[in-house]
Amino acid sequence: MGVMSAAAPAERYRAISPAEFFYKYREIAGFSNPARALYQAVREFVENALDATDSHGILPNIKIIIEKADENREFYRVTVEDNGIGLPPHVVPEAFGRVLFSSKYILRQTRGMFGLGAKVAILYGQMTTGRPVEVITSQPNLRRIYYFKLRIDINKNEPIIIERGSWRKNRDWHGTIVSMTLEGDWSRAKQRIKDYILRTAVVTPYANIVFMTPDGEIYYYERVIDKLPRPPKEVKPHPYGVDLELMKRIRDGGSFSTVKEMLMKSFQGIGKVTASSLLEIAGISPDLSPKSLSDRQLLELVNAMKNYKRFRAPTSEALSPLGEEVIKAGLKRIYEPEFVEAVTRKPSAYQGHPFIVEVGIAFGGKVPLSSDKYPTLLRYANKIPLLYDEGSDVSTAVVKEDISWDQYLVKLPAPIIVLVHICSTKVPFKGVGKESIADVKEIRNEIKLAIQEVARRLRVYLSKKLKEEEKKKRVVSLAKYVPEIVRALTIILGDGQGVKAELLEEKLVEIVSLRTGIPKDEVHNVVKSVEIGV
Amino acid sequence: MAISSVDKYARQKSLEILREKFALVAKRILEGKKPVLVMPKRVLSNTIYDMNKKLLLLGPEMKRRSLLDVNEARKFMQTLLMASIIYEALVNDEYPTIRDLYYRGKHTISYRDISGKLHHENTWDEQRESDAVIRDIEVFLGVLREEMLILSKEKGKVVGNLIIKSGDDVIDLSRMGHGAYAIEPTPDLIEFKDIDAEFVLVVEKDAVFQQLHRYGFWKKYKAILITSAGQPDRATRRFVRRLSEELKLPIYILTDADPYGWYIYSVFKIGSITLSYESERLATPNAKFIGVSMTDIFGEEEAAKNINKLASIFGKEIKEVISKPKKKAYLSEKERRNYIIKAKKKDVERAVELIGYDVADKLIRNPEIKKYIRQKKLGVSGYPWFRTPEWIKEISIFFSKLAKLEIEAMASKGLKFLADTYIPTKIETGDWID
Repeated sequence: MGVMSAAAPAERYRAISPAEFFYKYREIAGFSNPARALYQAVREFVENALDATDSHGILPNIKIIIEKADENREFYRVTVEDNGIGLPPHVVPEAFGRVLFSSKYILRQTRGMFGLGAKVAILYGQMTTGRPVEVITSQPNLRRIYYFKLRIDINKNEPIIIERGSWRKNRDWHGTIVSMTLEGDWSRAKQRIKDYILRTAVVTPYANIVFMTPDGEIYYYERVIDKLPRPPKEVKPHPYGVDLELMKRIRDGGSFSTVKEMLMKSFQGIGKVTASSLLEIAGISPDLSPKSLSDRQLLELVNAMKNYKRFRAPTSEALSPLGEEVIKAGLKRIYEPEFVEAVTRKPSAYQGHPFIVEVGIAFGGKVPLSSDKYPTLLRYANKIPLLYDEGSDVSTAVVKEDISWDQYLVKLPAPIIVLVHICSTKVPFKGVGKESIADVKEIRNEIKLAIQEVARRLRVYLSKKLKEEEKKKRVVSLAKYVPEIVRALTIILGDGQGVKAELLEEKLVEIVSLRTGIPKDEVHNVVKSVEIGV
Repeated sequence: MAISSVDKYARQKSLEILREKFALVAKRILEGKKPVLVMPKRVLSNTIYDMNKKLLLLGPEMKRRSLLDVNEARKFMQTLLMASIIYEALVNDEYPTIRDLYYRGKHTISYRDISGKLHHENTWDEQRESDAVIRDIEVFLGVLREEMLILSKEKGKVVGNLIIKSGDDVIDLSRMGHGAYAIEPTPDLIEFKDIDAEFVLVVEKDAVFQQLHRYGFWKKYKAILITSAGQPDRATRRFVRRLSEELKLPIYILTDADPYGWYIYSVFKIGSITLSYESERLATPNAKFIGVSMTDIFGEEEAAKNINKLASIFGKEIKEVISKPKKKAYLSEKERRNYIIKAKKKDVERAVELIGYDVADKLIRNPEIKKYIRQKKLGVSGYPWFRTPEWIKEISIFFSKLAKLEIEAMASKGLKFLADTYIPTKIETGDWID
């Protein structure tokens, strides 16, 4: 060491707090400019609000308000209110005022992974406007409502409580209201934010969502279904998904007397027999204390686990798919399509991570026209809409390359939307933006199978519709001549001499209707629309 | 305007049939039955060559034109529309031409489809369409358009020692100066008053007609001289037929020596495919093909060279017609070189349609043409009325020589030759094809 330090340049190292780190590197969390920051802040708070409700069996009522907070500067106050489980008052300062404090360290599917985003938003707001964050919260079993005004001490990574208070509940309210001010760019962010909320509304038909914009617009998405998606359960990690870092954390964090016990209690699918054979492969004695294991031994263990062939597939209990009913209700709520179908695939796994693919297709109605290359795509990962980087997403590759749409009677451009939801305890995002999913073979295949299954139902519908249209076209091609024929016959036979024009027309309509199976009044409408020129 | 009584009667009769036929259509509709028009099929497959009558006739096949058939609905409407226009013209004492009828019936039908989109459609677009509908009405009613007082452009011309009454005027066809009498579209309304002629000569070419007329051919030989100016129209055919049937005059047809000329002759004699429903009235079964024949150009020896090849198709009987060459050519070797024209591919194709692929394949020597015809016409069977020994002889020379000749060439040799030698000799010696 001494030799080393003598040769090393005289640089000063100091630890920085996570708060300071994120303050300096806020781009990573998506706060690179005012427009992006406003969008990101809305996202973080909306996702927290949904996690606080639907994951706990509560039908969400979410209210989002963005308002101009300063006459001269581009300051915006973002308020998100939910009717979720609320927070115990003593954790509020920590939850909002210390980076990396979160309930989201357990392994289950949640929208945000570490609850980091909200705190970066608060940091960003504090940095750009100097204004504190306000939190009002109460839990179902509490009698009081609690109020906090907070700031983050960036250097110490500590919350500073500016104001706090509480009052008695006089109605049965629970939930959280977060309100913060930041510098933003509404005019450049508004399309994204509206898109984001619309797409969120597509997959949350069980939620009432109210959105008020600085322009005075109010968007209201009313609840159309009382069914919630199955809430995710906490599960232990699957051995295939393990790496050295995770192993170290388990070794250091647990209080196990033997390695064997550590394996059996920390992972799914490892019992006595499996634990023994794994340790034998790794060449580690089962009775050793975990604390005594070297990193090298841990690595041997990780390799043994990765190469072991007889594990059961990972459990999907940690996953919370939307379910076919929710997807259909959601697409209906927004697009009022003439056709809508959805499928939730059976759980599958890649590299030890369970995942479920869900696909919904909406056709016709208010569904906007797609491009002529592929259907309009709505992508979701763990119920979060993905808005950016569509071109590099695995779902885009599938709808463009793996599915030939004309085979399903879809002639692009068409009023068609394909919704793809991937839920997993570890979604293989591409890059730090978390806006597109990587092309993982297992996932790509599941997406393809899911789309094919729903598209087959679409084909059945479209072919039926086509036949019906053919029939109607046929009627038009006959009925349009009726007035000319009636006119000609009455000229030759003389109106009044027993041949009445009205009667002839009536009879012809009847005959056409009878022979084609199209209702009389539809035939009548065509006949009535005819005008004979000169 | 004074309407002749002949016209009046024709009108009344046509109106009655129209009312009667369409009353049945209306009756079916009022009974809730499928609206249909039943009429003979006017297609090649339903055109029959009657060997005994030597006529092209409409076969027994009927088509049912139904309003409920998507492919027929438009035609159904057009037929009724046309019938109503003809009806109105008859009632109003009018004489519309087929072009008038086209314009009177042409208008737009505007309608909305199920989705409410507005469409416009013309009742018909081209005159071809409305002309076809007129022919349909003729076969549907069993009434010819002349009987419905529908006119068409005059094409045929006639001169000669013949006095006719047309309308209320008496016309002497020998006093037309250098001009001629245009054969009217309703030749049935002509009355023959007086005649001093021994035969009728029909010339395909208007120019040759004029030359013979000025030369005084018809005066000198007591002929009625007629031209169809190309493909004969209905009026000219009907007029020729009446001369043959009512005045018992022999009819001689003079055309170019090429497949089109031969077909013109056959239209006069046995009828045409598109108008086969009228053959009984328009065709002249006694008409004779006087020339210009291939043997007149090349002599009969030329045909004799083909005898064995033809016998392989038609058997030994054919030898009796061809084997003994009697006739010499009318043209010298030098004249031939000057007057004949090389046949075009289109001419050869048309000839194959008339006589059949087998004959062409046996006789054409030019390998390029042979190959071309094989690609285009393999398996074509020919019209039965051309597969007679005389025509086989004619057309076989065409195939082996691949040459054709226009009548003007005979006139070029000298109008005197055409008028005073060629035609009279042919008639006197009975050198024609019947």
